[in-house]
Amino acid sequence: MEKLVEILEELQPEVDYETCDNLVDGRYLDSLTILSLVSEIEDTFDVQIPTVEIIPSNFNSAKKIWELIERLQEEE
Amino acid sequence: MSYFTVKYLFFFLPAVILVYGIMPKKIKPLVLLVASYLFFFWISKKLIFFLILSSLSIYFSSLGMRRIDRITKEKVEGMEKEEKKRIKQKGKKKKQILLLLTILFNFSFLFYFKYLNFFASIGNALFDIFHADFSIRLVKHLAPIGISFYTLQAISYVVDVYHEKIEAESNLFKMLLYLSFFPTIMEGPIASYPEVKDSLYEGTRLSYHNLCFGLQRIIFGLFKKCIIADRLNIFVKLTFDHILQYSGITLAFGAIFYTILLYMEFSGTMDVVIGSAEIFGIKLPENFRQPFFSKNISEFWSRWHITLGNWLKNYVFYPVSFSQPVKKISSFFKKKFNHRVSALVMGAIALFAVWSLNGLWHGAGWQFVFFGYYHFTLLMLGNIFEPWISLGCEKFSIHRKANWYHALQIGKTCLLVFIGELFFRANTLSDGFLMLQRIFTHFDLQQFQTEFFHLGLDGKDYLILLIALGVVFLISFLKERGVSIREKISLKTISLRWIIYYALIMSVILFGAYGPGYEPVEPIYADF
Repeated sequence: MEKLVEILEELQPEVDYETCDNLVDGRYLDSLTILSLVSEIEDTFDVQIPTVEIIPSNFNSAKKIWELIERLQEEE
Repeated sequence: MSYFTVKYLFFFLPAVILVYGIMPKKIKPLVLLVASYLFFFWISKKLIFFLILSSLSIYFSSLGMRRIDRITKEKVEGMEKEEKKRIKQKGKKKKQILLLLTILFNFSFLFYFKYLNFFASIGNALFDIFHADFSIRLVKHLAPIGISFYTLQAISYVVDVYHEKIEAESNLFKMLLYLSFFPTIMEGPIASYPEVKDSLYEGTRLSYHNLCFGLQRIIFGLFKKCIIADRLNIFVKLTFDHILQYSGITLAFGAIFYTILLYMEFSGTMDVVIGSAEIFGIKLPENFRQPFFSKNISEFWSRWHITLGNWLKNYVFYPVSFSQPVKKISSFFKKKFNHRVSALVMGAIALFAVWSLNGLWHGAGWQFVFFGYYHFTLLMLGNIFEPWISLGCEKFSIHRKANWYHALQIGKTCLLVFIGELFFRANTLSDGFLMLQRIFTHFDLQQFQTEFFHLGLDGKDYLILLIALGVVFLISFLKERGVSIREKISLKTISLRWIIYYALIMSVILFGAYGPGYEPVEPIYADF
């Protein structure tokens, strides 16, 4: 989780990832940042994020993103 | 038949409501299916065959995928990891072939009806250039109504089943209704299966609440279409059809009026569509979210024709971005530069695909292709310059959340949208360029003053337009602030509520642009 927050902070530093729960809906993460984020996650955590998983509900908070990573790691 | 005709509003819809109301719960969805097929047949006659083919293709293909999944799961039980992976890969390949065939099958109809002539004329132009003694015969034909909308829904359904995001539907009638539902068939919204499946087949009983809320929404749609869009139509037609006759200011008004007309016509249609569905307790996704309050073009497209934007994002933008070749290109740029440049390149390739399709989806014509690439360019420029704009604001201590800054951003976005819509409406691409050029080169105030009241609109028309636009603006403004006018009205006393409804109905009857001197707008998006 710490590593994920590090990635997020590098891509978009102006957000408090502990509390923010509308990263996509609140437009804190635009589509370009999401592209970078997905690539970084795939490289760092060695998972493949299927495009159907790139939906606001999976990316609206750091916690949700982490849950997605854990789920994908389990499925692999 | 459009949703704004007497046939639909006073005969078809009430008849469906009546039959739906008296039928038992289980039969209600079937009533909607029969009504939807009658509606389609009424407009497109035997072309209904293509709608049935599309529905059957996604139905059987999704069941086929489900079968492949089931067999694969049974096979891999108790297997070693490597062997499991191999079998799963094999199953995936089969599913991929099935998916590809279904997509090709559905797109082939769309291509035939919508794009064959466009590409044939490009081919003929090329043959001419190379003096080839050959030409492709252009065929005139009518397309099945809503083919651009239901084909996208069909594709979204099979792709979602392929990715196991949704379960394949085993009830054929449900599938037939999903693609043909009469309020959405002509102009969308392009609803994904999970968005509508629960309410579409629920057979919800008619209720006073749903009836009131649905009718309210329909009347508001009529207000936008009949009072505003239809009133602006003649002005827009004259300016776009006789560019050389009018002054630059009049032409600029023509472009602005067209954008307003398009919004009022399309969002008004969506009000009628969503309101019609609401009567049956069916919740459809919204297609607009106050687009003219957008601070940049990217935000504008997340508020205008939302369901098309979502479709393109889910089924084109992300799949292209994360395809193997694009990933390879982006990792090259990441090594050479940084993750921002790599994301920019990735985004540029995917956005290019999105806007090529978006332009062509709106119509087979160069003005639409240009419209697509115009917005692609604006989005890319926005992405590229964002860090510099941010830096500039910091340097000059400009508070980016200040109201005046937002107002400037909104003004800039509207201006860019007006230019885009000018090309979108232009009869040809060269007409679009001519019109834009004359806006800047034929600035004749005196000519404008004499023209403005002789383009189908007089002082009374402008006053009605101003008041009606004020009403729509106020409602949008409050919505933007999180205030729902509909909820507010529903909390008022019954007498006050009905005074408001009555005023709205009377305004449509009294101030709608009917009769001689006016020409109603044809359903614009139904042609796409």
